[in-house]
Amino acid sequence: MLATLSSAAGVSLIGRPNAFAQQAPLETTTVRIAKIPGICLAPQYVADELLRAEGFTDIRYVATGSGIPAALSLAHGEIDFTANYAPSIIIPIDAGEPITIVGGEHIGCFELFAKEGIRGITDLKGKNVGVQALGSSQHTFLSTMAAYVGLNPVKDIHWVTSVSPKPMELFAEGKIDAFLGFPPDPQELRARNIDRVIVNSTIDRPWSQYFCCVLAAHRDYASKHPVATKRVLRAILKAADLCVTEPMRVAQRIVDGGFTARYDYALQALREISYAKWREYDPEDAIRFYSLRLREAGIIKSNPNKIIADGTDWRFWNELKRELKS
Amino acid sequence: MRAAPALTLVMLATLMLVPVHDAPQQTFEQQALPKIAPAPEFSLTSQDGGQVTLADFRGRVVAVTFIYTLCTATCPVLTPMMSFVQDQLGPNFGRKIAFVSITVDPERDTPEVLKEYAQAFGANLAGWAFLTGTPDAIRDVTRRYGVFVSTKTANGDVEHTFLTSIVDPRGILRVQYVGVRFDPDEFRRDLLSLLQEP
Repeated sequence: MLATLSSAAGVSLIGRPNAFAQQAPLETTTVRIAKIPGICLAPQYVADELLRAEGFTDIRYVATGSGIPAALSLAHGEIDFTANYAPSIIIPIDAGEPITIVGGEHIGCFELFAKEGIRGITDLKGKNVGVQALGSSQHTFLSTMAAYVGLNPVKDIHWVTSVSPKPMELFAEGKIDAFLGFPPDPQELRARNIDRVIVNSTIDRPWSQYFCCVLAAHRDYASKHPVATKRVLRAILKAADLCVTEPMRVAQRIVDGGFTARYDYALQALREISYAKWREYDPEDAIRFYSLRLREAGIIKSNPNKIIADGTDWRFWNELKRELKS
Repeated sequence: MRAAPALTLVMLATLMLVPVHDAPQQTFEQQALPKIAPAPEFSLTSQDGGQVTLADFRGRVVAVTFIYTLCTATCPVLTPMMSFVQDQLGPNFGRKIAFVSITVDPERDTPEVLKEYAQAFGANLAGWAFLTGTPDAIRDVTRRYGVFVSTKTANGDVEHTFLTSIVDPRGILRVQYVGVRFDPDEFRRDLLSLLQEP
């Protein structure tokens, strides 16, 4: 193996031998990554310099929608790589889309706000609940939560979507009963002294026991570019550590980069999200857990084993988990 | 850096609470360390002004890390932790295991400054080299080890990722630790495990 490694020495973008290029040359120096409104995907937004250090010379951030639209952008070849909420990727995989999940990123970051009198998910039966859009990560997540406690998310919850005013504003004005948000919305609500959270997926079981966001590549990118895929994954995992050790600088960078608007909300979110624990969780557990929940909710037809067989490749993750400790 | 002794005491007090286990554990993490690639070579200037290369450490296990002496945020956590592990390694340190701390701020971290820093953190210079070099040389070695270093901020801080690499006696990169909050006991076990390899 070592003979192979040393004989395959590559040349980095600055023209000198690169240690990681010695493992094998990059099959491509291009990677296109999703630019999705939201803070929790900060690692991929600040991974650009680390990607350059890995030998990539053409790093593009492509604006996509969030949730399933981002996964479909991946499936349709508009981007090569993104982190996304696991169910938002599982649903297209169930539909046969060419997506390969290659690792996990972080736990939590969804918060369910509710009016007085609503103490748990079951109390949402017959209530008006605001989400960004049907098919959004929020809608999918709350559907799985509802199905988990025996509700029918299609019939039992009145979903409220609105471009203007946004569902968060409707909830703040008392016009709807509950609202599920991810950063920066929970931070903004708390800043407005609206802090009645009945589920926080960062700390509340069972949601806190599984990766929320996983990292996925287009199937062809992962299969044709395994060295590049591993290096993208490595750069994003290192960037996750940067979010832990340098949250103020990361917050400023994602504001400067146009990924989010408010520095204070970004900083608060970065400090709350468990980026440092990626080695402690198993992404396959998350895929199995969410596949079961989505199947319970009638959203997908495949069983977890089929989703895992069709849409995951843990080789990169398993190698990096041994090579990169934290 | 000037607050280093106080921070060191706090850090050491914390680390003393970490149990030290030598019992073999059959976990995924306790398998033989992977062989990633030949470690990137370097030739830099030590705290004593001499030239030091990675090849000088052949036959020893070496941990290579990146710091800068005026770092007030997280470097003051990493260096005391390594100093703690240095003491835990006993007679193996220096003879069979070495540490290398490379500055990412070569303009300010001269050999003299690095020597003062090393002394402040109780580094045993028989087995621990603090290295600097030209900005180009430092940029090259950080890039080749996969460490991200940005330009200085307005207050002089250098934004960088923390990456500590363990290189085996044959010069092969075996594992990298990201950040500064890794388990010092696991780090020590990984260093010692490479001494047991044929």
